Order: sequence, then structure tokens, then C-alpha cells
Amino acid sequence: MRKSHPVRRVVLATAATVSGVVLLLSLKPASDPAAAGAAPRQPAAGQEAPQGGTQGGVQAGSGAVTGDAAQTQYGAVQVRLTVSAGKITEAEAVQAPKGGLSGQKTELAVPRLNQQAVAAQSADIDVVSGATYTSEGYKKSLQSALDKMQKESSSGSSGAAQARTVTGEAVQTQYGPVQVRITVGAGKITKAEAVQAPTGGLSGQKTQLAVPRLNQAAVAAGTADIDAVSGATYTSSGYRQSLQSALDRAGG
Amino acid sequence: MTTTLAGGRAARRQTMRRIRPRRSPAVPLLLAVWAGAAAVLWLWWQNTPSIADTTGRILGAGRITGLLAGYLMALVVLQMARVPALERRVGSDRVARWHAMSGRYTLCLVLAHVFLTMWGYALQAGKSLGDIVRQTVDSVEQLPDMGKAAIGTGLFVVIGLTSIGPVRRRLPYDAWYHVHLLTYAAVFLTFWHQISTGNEFAVQPAAKTFWYGLYGAVTALVLWYRILTPIRLNLRHRMRVEAVIEETPGIVSVLIGGRRLHRMGAEAGQFFRWRFLAPGMRFSSHPYSLSAAPRPDTLRITVKAIGDHSARLRELTPGTRVWAEGPYGALTAQRRSRGKVLLVAGGVGITPMRALFETLPGAAGDITLLYRANTTQDLALWDELAAIAEERGARLMYAVNSPEGERPDISAENLRRKIPDIESHDVFMCGPPGFAQSVFEALREAGVPARRIHHESFEM
Repeated sequence: MRKSHPVRRVVLATAATVSGVVLLLSLKPASDPAAAGAAPRQPAAGQEAPQGGTQGGVQAGSGAVTGDAAQTQYGAVQVRLTVSAGKITEAEAVQAPKGGLSGQKTELAVPRLNQQAVAAQSADIDVVSGATYTSEGYKKSLQSALDKMQKESSSGSSGAAQARTVTGEAVQTQYGPVQVRITVGAGKITKAEAVQAPTGGLSGQKTQLAVPRLNQAAVAAGTADIDAVSGATYTSSGYRQSLQSALDRAGG
Repeated sequence: MTTTLAGGRAARRQTMRRIRPRRSPAVPLLLAVWAGAAAVLWLWWQNTPSIADTTGRILGAGRITGLLAGYLMALVVLQMARVPALERRVGSDRVARWHAMSGRYTLCLVLAHVFLTMWGYALQAGKSLGDIVRQTVDSVEQLPDMGKAAIGTGLFVVIGLTSIGPVRRRLPYDAWYHVHLLTYAAVFLTFWHQISTGNEFAVQPAAKTFWYGLYGAVTALVLWYRILTPIRLNLRHRMRVEAVIEETPGIVSVLIGGRRLHRMGAEAGQFFRWRFLAPGMRFSSHPYSLSAAPRPDTLRITVKAIGDHSARLRELTPGTRVWAEGPYGALTAQRRSRGKVLLVAGGVGITPMRALFETLPGAAGDITLLYRANTTQDLALWDELAAIAEERGARLMYAVNSPEGERPDISAENLRRKIPDIESHDVFMCGPPGFAQSVFEALREAGVPARRIHHESFEM
């Protein structure tokens, strides 16, 4: 039977709730970590954070691009475009409000919006009357998909290809596993890095010595046919094997 | 002398063998509640990849408060479902205090949710905070199930207002109670917009299933324990008033007869919620403790005439049908962990103590009852208590005001002088909140650990 302190309790509960909510909100990144991690790029100024990212590999201006989910009063709207040779061949809503009245509005509006998007090849499409919020959300998501499409076609060394990352198998060496991740653009290795390598003690020192050189060599050669770093033979050979498997995956 | 002592020890050992203290499940329950809240927050976290701007943050806060409110709402109702585990193990008084506390908190979350969400929508539609009223009207008109939600929220506000201390004290109990029953309608009305407009539930079918499960389970428990269980109980036992006895001025005992009453599983120290089917009394039920151990054909309650309801009990005529719900309450022998027990009663708080005094197993000298009242005339049931004390070899003490109206000094020092080994007692206590508080402090000072002081208090 502790003494109750109503005022203290109210203050505590309020403070705890407010700080909890603020903490949760501030822990959320301004952009989607999944998309950012896979293919780092700067978010365009004034644009909503990218989210969803690209779906699968896109080759030479074709493939699928998913726009950001746009929140509306009725729920999220998210548009996916199928692109071929730089043109929108198909538009669809992967997320749209469901259930009840808003579901009906979705059914009404989304097919028309899809049609318009393909016809206009831009986000400059008419709002479907009676479904203003959904339409606005759709346009927003469509615009972000278009932005991504453009950025993808301008990124990469050749200007047309989409950069993507491929991670090779982890190869066991005497000192520990080695695993290589490469970024491939226009059929070339634009970047190589070791996501796993022996750490600690002598083998850690060897890793520090060898891995940067191996990375360089991989980018320069574009193949797994690279020289072993002397003094780090095991690590080098593990690196080569993992690199080969990454290249196999990238090619396949 | 030696034989008596040895006999006493053997008897005590016998008693201790029967004592199986049961821990209150409060801690695991609270942990489960926190885990559920964490799961709800995780649901939001999972479903929100990023927050780009202020609008996103405001809407995010709106969603978090809304989800938490929806979750807690179910628990607030659950606390009043009269689930035996809560009523008999945690204790009805404690659960009622939890209910009041979490109810207030949930109402605040609901209001924050409405404000934040409408503000966020207004910003999203390119308007400012000033257009929030317009925005709210628009949303209520256009979004699915929002009309219902708005009515439900209005009801919550009314329920909340009638439960604020000063308002509640001014309202008749019945009026307050019936307004409070509207909670069920309000919860029902606000449920649907959670499912139809809640982002988390539209996107994740598992979340939707979980939500239906939560509310479904609570509904089932309410139906079972608040409606079906009492109906079955009353059909089986068919209770009626047998006699009304005036114990002291202002305190009456009501004897209630019925069939196979020992099968109700009531223990000394517990109470029922009683509804007497007499004119003017049938629409509300009141909790009164059993003032004697339940017998196969009779139950007895002893009540002090404080409110309208308890004053009317005096006019009950034998034969009046009685509708009872229970037994509830955790102030029973199960709480005991020691051989020696001190019972402390303040005023009409004697009723459960009287029943425990009679039934707690113990050898001569193990059980002590301390009875506090204003004057010796107010010591209701004294003759019975004296007879029980005589028969069991239990100690009976009373403390009354001096003829000048001075309060007796129940201090740690005095308690220790009267009961030298007080720190090795279990203490059961029932009385008005102020009295209970001061005795609690005196007991703590005298060295009784808090976990061995068991009390029930119905003041919120």
C-alpha cells in the first residue's frame, strides 16, 4: 500500500509516452535503409524518400521500377512501372486502399490511372473524380517512380545500364571465411569489397594488407584472374574463389 | 505445560502444512501487457519504412497513439470482465484501480490520436493546423467507418467526464454506472475504423487476424464471465433474503438462503456483488463481503448504511429474490504465508475479518484480531467475535476513541507492545482508506514486510 501520487503519475506517464513516441519517430530514417543499402544514391532534393527500390535487375532501361508509397487518408498508394527501352509499357498499383468505400474507389480509379500513366508517359495525369485522394497519392508515387527510372538510366558507367550488387559465396580459409561483394554496371565490375574477411591478430593484419589490393585488382581486371598478394596467400585464394562465384552469379 | 506446548507445536506444524501461499500473478500479467504493447509498436515499426517530413512525423505519432489506444482499450475492458484469475488472485480492488488508471490513459491516447491524425491529414491536403476542424468533418464524412468512430469517441469523452473525481462524487452511483456501461458501445463503434482505415491492418493480414483475435477473446470473456456465469450461478442457487438483523445502530446483517450454497466455492474474506430484486434496487449491484464463513444453506453479509443502497437494505423483506455475482476478492487464506496471523478491521471492514477470524486454520494463540471503531457501541458483531475467540483460543482486541473523542494511538510502538512477535505475522486488513494507510505505515515501522500485509481497499 504505497502512497499514491496522482500528479507525479500523470507527469511520468505523459513524459514517458511523449518521449517514447518521439524516440520511435526519430529512430525512423528519412529514407528507406533497404533501398539505400543496396544501391547507394543521394535522395533528390524536395523529393520524398526513396523506398521499395528497384525490383530485380534492370537491363538497359528496361525492367520494373517501383515508386515510393504515398500515404493518403485512405491508406498507402504505391505504383510500379514496367519499363522497356525507356518507355512505360505498363503501370500498376501494388498498394492501394482496400476495404469498404475506399476499396470501391480504388477499383474505380486505379485502372483509369494506370491507363493514363501509360498514355501520358509522365505523372501529368487527370484526377479521377470521386477519388481525389487516391489519385493524388497515385500521382505522387508515379512521379517518384519516374524519378527513379531517370536516375537509374543516367547512373552506371555506360549511361544505360543499371548498377547492381552481387555477393559471392563465403569461402572458408584457414584463417576464417572470405566473402566478396561486387557492384556491376554495364557488364563491368565498378566496385569490389570484402564483406567478410579474417579478423584479429596476424590474420587481421594480413586482411588489412591484402583486401584493398585485391579489391583494386578485381576492378581493374574485371575478372577473377587476379594475382595473389604475397604473404596473404590463403586470403587471396579465398578472395578469388568468392569473387568468381559472385561473377558467376552476376553473369547468370 | 510441556505437553500443551508440544501439542501447540504439533498443531502449528499441521497448520503450516495446509498453508500454501499463492503468489499474485500481477507481475507476469504486467509483463505480458508490456510485451503486447511492444508487439503493437513493432507492427508500426515494420510497416513504416521511413518518415520524410513533419507531416510524416505527425501522422506517425497519430498512428502510434491510435494503435496503442486500440490495444489498451481491449485490456481496459478485459480488466472489468470479472475473470476469476484477476478477481480472486490479483484482487478486485487492485484490478479496479488498474482499470481506472489505464482507462484514463487510454482516453488521453484516443484524443491525441484524433488530434494528431487530423492535423497530419490537414497538412497533407495542403492546409494548416487551423483547418483541423474542417478536416475532421471531411474525414468523418468520407472515410469508411469514421462516422461510427466519431460517435464512439464522443461516448468515450462523456464516460471520461463522468468519471472525473468531483463529477463522479456528485453523480448518483447508478447514473455513473449506466453511463459507464456505454463503454461497450463505444468500443464496438470505434473498432471498425481501426480495421478499415488502419494502414497496419490493410497491409498485414496477420496483424488484422491478431486484432480480431484480441477483441474476439475479450468479447468472449466478457460474455462468459459477466453474463453466462452469473446466470448459471443464480439459476443453480436461487437465493432469497431470509432475514434482516440490525446489529448496531446503522449496521445491518442480511441472511441469504439458497440451494447448495457451499458449491459456489466462496471463501471467507471474499465478497459478492449483490442485486436485490426489490423496487428501486434491482438496477444496480453492490459489492458486500461475506461476514461469516459460507454455510450450505446460508450466506450472511453485514452492511453499514452509508449510501442510498445500503440504507435501503434495512427495508428488505424476507423472500426477496437475490441476484449475486461472485465470489470475488483475493483477501483469503490463500494469501497467508506464516503460521501467525493478525487481522486488522476498521469499522464495517470487520465483515471479511470476522469470516477469516472464524475460519483461518491455526492453533490457540496464532490468530489475533484488532478491531477499531469509534465507540464500543459501534463494535458490530462483538458478541460473535468474543465467542469465536473463546472457542479457538484466539486473541481479540479493540481500539475505540476515548470518551473525549480522542483517537486511539495505533503506532508501531503500541503494536509491538501488544504483539511482541508482530514481525513474524501475516497481516490481513480491511477498513477505510485513511485508516488502512496509517495502520500500514505503523506495521511497516514495526517490522512487518510489505509483502505480508494483505489488504483490500475500494477507494480509487
